[in-house]
Amino acid sequence: MSESILKLQNVTMQFGGVVALNDVSFEIKKQEILGLIGPNGAGKTTVFNVITGVYQVTQGDISFEGKSLKGTKRYKITRGGIARTFQNIRLWGDMTALENVITATDTHKKSGLVSGLFGLPVSRKEEKRDKARAQELLDFIGIGEYTDRLAKNLPYGVQRRLEIARALGTEPKLLLLDEPAAGFNPAEKVELAKTIRKIRDAGYTVLLIEHDMSLVMGVSDRVVVIDFGQKIADDLPSKVQNDKRVIEAYLGVPEDAS
Amino acid sequence: MLSNFQDQFASLTIGGLSLGFIYVLIALGYTMVYGVLRMINFANSEVFMYGTFATIIVIRDLFGFTQQSEPATGFRLVYILFLCLVASMLMSGILSILLELVAYRRLRNRGSNKLAPLISAIGMSIVLAEFMRILTDSRYVGSPRVMEKKILGTFFGAELRLDNIIIIIAGLILFISLSQFVQRTRLGKAIRAVSMNEDAAKLMGVNLNFVVSGTFLVGGLMTGAAGFFYVLKYENTSFNIGFELGIAAFTAAILGGIGNIKGAFYGGITLGLLETYASFFLGTQWKAVTVFIVLVFVLYFRPNGVFGEAITQTRA
Amino acid sequence: MFNLRDWGAGVWERSGRPVRILIALGAIAAAASLPLLGGTFLNTPIADYGSVLVFPVAIFVIMALGLNIVIGKSGLLDLGYVAFFAIGAYTMGILGTKTGLNSWEILPIGIAMAMFAGLILGVPALRLRGDYLAIITLGFGEIVRITALNLNSIGGANGIVGIPTPPTIFGLEYTFDNHRLYFWTFLIIILLTIWMIRRLSVRRAGRAWESIRQDEDAAELMGVPTFRYKIWAFVLGASVGGAAGVLYASKTLFISPDNFTLQVSILILACVVFGGMGNIWGVILGAIILGYLPDRIRFISDARLLVFGAVLVLMMNLRPDGLLPRKKREKALPEKGQS
Repeated sequence: MSESILKLQNVTMQFGGVVALNDVSFEIKKQEILGLIGPNGAGKTTVFNVITGVYQVTQGDISFEGKSLKGTKRYKITRGGIARTFQNIRLWGDMTALENVITATDTHKKSGLVSGLFGLPVSRKEEKRDKARAQELLDFIGIGEYTDRLAKNLPYGVQRRLEIARALGTEPKLLLLDEPAAGFNPAEKVELAKTIRKIRDAGYTVLLIEHDMSLVMGVSDRVVVIDFGQKIADDLPSKVQNDKRVIEAYLGVPEDAS
Repeated sequence: MLSNFQDQFASLTIGGLSLGFIYVLIALGYTMVYGVLRMINFANSEVFMYGTFATIIVIRDLFGFTQQSEPATGFRLVYILFLCLVASMLMSGILSILLELVAYRRLRNRGSNKLAPLISAIGMSIVLAEFMRILTDSRYVGSPRVMEKKILGTFFGAELRLDNIIIIIAGLILFISLSQFVQRTRLGKAIRAVSMNEDAAKLMGVNLNFVVSGTFLVGGLMTGAAGFFYVLKYENTSFNIGFELGIAAFTAAILGGIGNIKGAFYGGITLGLLETYASFFLGTQWKAVTVFIVLVFVLYFRPNGVFGEAITQTRA
Repeated sequence: MFNLRDWGAGVWERSGRPVRILIALGAIAAAASLPLLGGTFLNTPIADYGSVLVFPVAIFVIMALGLNIVIGKSGLLDLGYVAFFAIGAYTMGILGTKTGLNSWEILPIGIAMAMFAGLILGVPALRLRGDYLAIITLGFGEIVRITALNLNSIGGANGIVGIPTPPTIFGLEYTFDNHRLYFWTFLIIILLTIWMIRRLSVRRAGRAWESIRQDEDAAELMGVPTFRYKIWAFVLGASVGGAAGVLYASKTLFISPDNFTLQVSILILACVVFGGMGNIWGVILGAIILGYLPDRIRFISDARLLVFGAVLVLMMNLRPDGLLPRKKREKALPEKGQS
C-alpha cells in the first residue's frame, strides 16, 4: 500500500522564456489520494500535462511504476495506465454517454479495424464485453440513466461525472482529476468526495487538482502545494493548512498581483 | 549552363526580386487574415486576379490603349500607372471586404463545424474564378503596353529594367507603409492585439467585426497592388492565374511563418528568387511542381516557417 | 417540422429483422431499376440517360462514399482526392493495355496502388491539422496530375487509349453502350462499400474516427491511437477512390490527365458537403443530385463549376449539416424504471 506508483524527479518545464515548472519533485503512492493545490496559474494543470505527455519535460524525469515516461507517446501513456479528466470539459458531444465511455474502453481491445470489418469472433466478444463494462462504469459513477443521451445535451454535473467515467474506461491505475468539482454546489461536492473515495477503494490511485479547500483537505491523504511552478509544501492536509508559506502564497504579499 | 547562369545571375536576381515583391504583397493578404482569424483565406488568390483585371480595365477602357498604341511617357505615364495602382488596390480591397461579409462572417461564431470556413472559402474562390472565366470566355487577356520597358542601366552586370525597378521600389514602400500602419495606427494595433489574444482584445473594448473587416481591407489593398505589378511585369492576365500565384504566395507565407508580417516579406522574396533561378535550370513547366514540393517540404520539416508559430502544436 | 432523416431512422429502428431485410431489398431493387426509367421525366436532354447514370452519377456516389470516410467521419479535409481516382484509372489503363489482365484482375491491384498512395500521402500529411492538411493534399492531387501530364511513358498529355472493357460475364457483354450492365456492376461495388462503412461505423474504427473528428487531443489522451486511425481513414478512402478509378477507366476506354483535375476533387467535396457530411445516405443523395442535375438542366450544365462553388458557400452558411444531417435527434429520456 505504501509503494510508489508515480514519481516526478526534478521536473522543469520551460516554454521559451517562461518557466512553468521549476524543479518539482514529488511522488504518489499506490491507492493514495493526493491533492494538488496552488493559486491560479501556479502550474497545476501543467503538471497534469507533463504526466500525460502533452508536453515533454525540459529537464528531469517522470517515472510510472518504475519506468520512465520520457518520449512515450500520449496514447501509450494512457494505455500504460494513466488517465485524466479536463478542466474545461472535453467530451465528444455528438456521441452518447455510453459511446464516450466505450471509446475509452477501446484502449485495451485487441481487435482493431480489420477484425471489426470482418466481424471476427474476437471483435464481437470484446464489443459485448466493453459495452457492458461501460454501462457498469456509468452506474458506478451514478449516471447510469443517461446511457443513450448525447453528451452535449447532458446537465453540467452529469457531464463532469461522465468525464470521470470515461477516464475510468481506459482501465487506469492512476486517475488524474482536474478540478472535478468546478461549478458544483455544496451538496454535489459532498457526493463527489464520496465518489472519489469510492474510486480509491475500488483500487485506483487518484491525483486531484481542486480549488475548493474543504473538499481537497477532506478527501486527500496528502497534499502537494505548487506556487509559481515550485513545490512549496508536501504533507498531510492538516500540516499543509497551517504552513506559513502556503498561507502566504494564497493570501499574497501586498505588492503581488497574481 | 552554369557559366550562362553566372552571367545572367544578376539580372535573374533583379527579376526574382520583383517577382518576390509580388509574392510578398499577396502573402500579406494570407498572413494578416490568418493572424486575426486563424484561417486560410483561400479566396485571396481570386482577390489578386480581380486586381489584375482592374489594371487592364483602366489601361484599355479608361485610357483607351490598344495593342497599337504608343506607350506613354513622362508625367502622363506616372499618372496612368498611379491610377492603375489605385484602381487595383481598391478593387481588391473592396472585394476582400465583401468576401468576408458574404462567406466568412456568419461562420466565425459557429465553432462546431471546423471545416466550414475553409470549404466556404474554396466555394467563393471557385465562384469568383468561374465568374471571370465566363466573362472572359476562358481566354487570356493581354494588356496593351503602356510603358516602355527601358533598361535604365546596369548594376554589377544586372539589367535594370524599368518595370522591375518600379515594382521593387514601390513594393518596398508599400511593405514599409504596412509595417508602420500595423505598428502605429489604432487599427493596426487592434489587429495585432486580436492576433495575439482575441479574448483579451475584446475585453479591452476592441470591436472585432471592425478589426476583421479592416484586416481584410488592408490585406486586399496589398494584394491588389500585387495585381497591378503583375500586369506591369507580364502584360497579360487570365481568370486562372489566381490559383497558381495564390499557391505560390501562400507557400511564401508559410515559409516565412504564417501570421507573421516580417515572415511574409522574407518568404516572398525567397520564393521569388528561388523560383526564378529554378526556372532558368528546369524550364517553366515544372514550376508548379517545384512550388508544391517546397510547400510540402516546409510543412513537413519546419511547419513553423522561419519566424512563425508552430502549427502542429496541441493544446490541452 | 418533418425531418426526413429522423423519420427514416425511426422506421428502421422500429422494424424487426425481417422487415429490415425487406426494406433493404426494396431499396436495392429501386436502385437497380433506375436505368429503366430513362423515358420518363428523369430523361436527360444533354447526354444519354443511361450513360449519365453510370458516369457521373454512380462513379460520383462511389467517390463520395470514399471521401466521406475521410472528411465526414474523421474530419480530415482532403482536397486532393482525385489523386486516388487517377491512380486507379491509370493502373487500369496501363495494365489493361500492356498486359493481358482483365478488369476484375486489375481491380485489386488498382485498389492496392491507391491505398499505397494514401499511405505515402498520409504519413507526412497527417501530422498537420485543418487548413494545412487541406493545402498539402491539394498539392498532392496536383502533383499526381502534373506528373501524369509530363510522363510520356504513360501517355503524357495524350493519355491512354484503347482500354479494354471488362470480360463478358454470364454471357453478358460489356459493350461500350451497354450502360445497364455497367450500372448494375457499379451498384454492386456501391453496396459493398456501404456495407464496409456501416460495419466499421459501429465498431472501434468508427468510434475512433468520430472522437478524432470531434476532439483529437482528447481522443489521444483517452488512449485512441489517433495517427493510426487517421492513416486508416486515408487509406480506406483511397481504396474506394482507386476502385472508382479502375471502374471508370474500364467504362470510358480512354483517359487523360484532363480527367483528373482539382475540379474533380472539388466536385466530390461538393457532393459530400451538399448531401450531409458523415451521413452515408446523405452523401449518396448529394452525389446523385449533383451528378445528375448538370445533364438535366442546361443552365447548370454550362455553369457547372460555378454552381458547385456556390453550393459549397451556401451550404456552409445556411445549412452546414447538409441535406441529411449526421445524427438524429436523440431518443427521449426514458421514464424512470425503464432501462
